[in-house]
Formats: sequence, structure tokens, C-alpha cells
Amino acid sequence: MHTFYSPSFRAGAREGFRTFLPLSVGLIPWALVTGMSMVGTGFTPLQAMGMNVIVFAGTAQLGTLPLIAAGAPVWLIVATALALNLRFVIFSAAIAQGFRGLGAAPRWLCGHLLTDGVFATCMTRMLETEDRDWRLGYYLAPSLWSWLLWQGFALVGVLAAGSIPKTWSLEFMATIALMILLLPMAKMRPMLVAAAAGGGTAVLLHALPLKLGLFAGIFVGIAAGFAADHWPKKPEAA
Amino acid sequence: MNAHAFDDATLWLVFILIGLATTLPRASFIVLGSRVALPSVLQRALRYAPAAALAAIVVPDVLLVAGELAPLNPKLAAAGAAVAAASLWRNPWLPFVAGMGVLLGLRWGLGV
Repeated sequence: MHTFYSPSFRAGAREGFRTFLPLSVGLIPWALVTGMSMVGTGFTPLQAMGMNVIVFAGTAQLGTLPLIAAGAPVWLIVATALALNLRFVIFSAAIAQGFRGLGAAPRWLCGHLLTDGVFATCMTRMLETEDRDWRLGYYLAPSLWSWLLWQGFALVGVLAAGSIPKTWSLEFMATIALMILLLPMAKMRPMLVAAAAGGGTAVLLHALPLKLGLFAGIFVGIAAGFAADHWPKKPEAA
Repeated sequence: MNAHAFDDATLWLVFILIGLATTLPRASFIVLGSRVALPSVLQRALRYAPAAALAAIVVPDVLLVAGELAPLNPKLAAAGAAVAAASLWRNPWLPFVAGMGVLLGLRWGLGV
């Protein structure tokens, strides 16, 4: 394919990389913590890096680690990963126009590499630029850079964690990471309602078999957030 | 060291399934193109899935010890320290230092 050699692809790649570079340092602590948490869960270095390459999604990796550690049923682990990733359906729909004129293979590659950071950084100019090659470069350069940073620093975390004894409870870093992700969401009222309902339900129903309480928590949380979103707009029984 | 409950083959299968649960939502509309539109009701509902799922994972983890409600346990104190550090300062490392510090301090220092 000529696309990758075209001058406009390279110009787009340079610009995308420059725009994203300062933001990308934020990935480093997350990759390190994810690497350490995977080892804390009991994965071998090969298993940890295998998960890192196959999944390439911090939230889904960190979120499923406690479930894998507890031996939760596979369908529940997958359903939870799916719930954590559903926001990408919205992102994917929002940025889809930016890939007009491209074939299926680059679209799958770009889809696999989609992250919150690149989405937020690149979407506007992806949509308003006419040059197809420029757009692809502008998206792929920061995406591939994110991928490299994520794999590299996760590996550092995996190797560092390998020399830390089990009594350090490294797996708790996954829980801390998930709480920090939740914090900015909980500043919006319907999100806070969704989180409170989801967490409360999961605690109340924790004794259910097959960890169904977690599943119920996700479900009740989504419903409660949706209800809270609509509540203020409804007039009081007129 | 094998803290989790899966054998090697099952674990790799789980990785592949989680990988699919990650790549398919991401690639969905990028691959389909923008011909298909997402109903706005569904878009709004999807926004709450991550918050609900994160809370459903985290809250039982810090509130329960061996399946019982235990409001005064080291993990909850550590969670409090991590959240406080994250809300007070911008430094991305501090919540981890504070949380792990409190957890290990309580476990080792006080033997809780």
C-alpha cells in the first residue's frame, strides 16, 4: 500500500506525534501499575505480557484482575470487561467519519488501537481534514506510540514486581487504580448515582453464587444512572 | 506463585475473550463506517456502564473481608488514603504511594 510512504501520511504522523507526546507521559504510571498488578495476581511474566498485548486496555485489564484472582466464572469476567469497554462504542461512532476512504484492514488496526487519549486528542482534526493519508498518519503515529509506551512500561512493571515478595499485596494497586479512574466520573451527579447503586448492589448481593452480585451491580448501576439522568427533566406530577 | 484459580490454557482463553470484548467495541463503528447510527437512548445508557462496573468491582473489595461487612479494615483505610491523595494533589504517583503505604503500614505495623 502506497499510503504509508506518501508525504502527507508522514506529515500527518509528525503532527499527531507532536500533539500527543506531552500527554503520553500520563500512560507511564498506569502501564507500570498494570504490569505490577498482573504479577501480583499471580501471572508469570509471559502470561502478564500476553494479556498486555492481547487486551491493550488498562481499565479492562485492571478491572478483570480481581475477578481472575477470585476465580469468577469466565462469562462474568468477559461481561465485566465488556461493560468497562462500552464507552468505546460511543467513541468509535464519533470518530468513524475520520476513516472514510480507507479499507477494512487499516480500519481494524485503527479500531484495535483506539484509546481514550488518542480519541480525545485527534478526533476534531480527523473529522475536518480532507486528505485521507494525512488523517491516517495523524491517528496512527500517536496510537502506535501509546502502544509502545504501554507495552514497554508494563514490561518494566512486570520485571520489577517479580522481585517483590507476595506480602506486599501488589494486587491492591489494581483496586487503587480503579478508584482513581472512578473519581472524576463521580463528580457528575448521574454518574455518582450509577456508581453508588452499582457498588451498593454488589455489596448487598455479594453472597449470591457465581458472583452474580457483581453482574447485578453493573446492571442496577446503569439503570440508576439512566434514571437519575432523566429525573430532573421530568415535571413534578403536573 | 499462583494466586489465581485458572490453569494456563483457560487463562489464555480468558485473555483472548477479554481482548475480543475490548477490540470489538473499539472497532465497531470504525469498521462499519458511519452509515449505522447509534440510538441516542442507548448512547446515554452506555455512558454509565464504566462507572457502574468500576464501583461494583471496587466497593465490595474494600468493604468486605472474607465475605463479611468489615467497615474498619486496612483496605478501606488504604482506599481512603488513596482517594484523598488523588483529590488533593495532581501527582499521579501519590495515590499509589499513600494507599499502599497505609495498607502495608497497618498490616505490618499494627498486624491488623
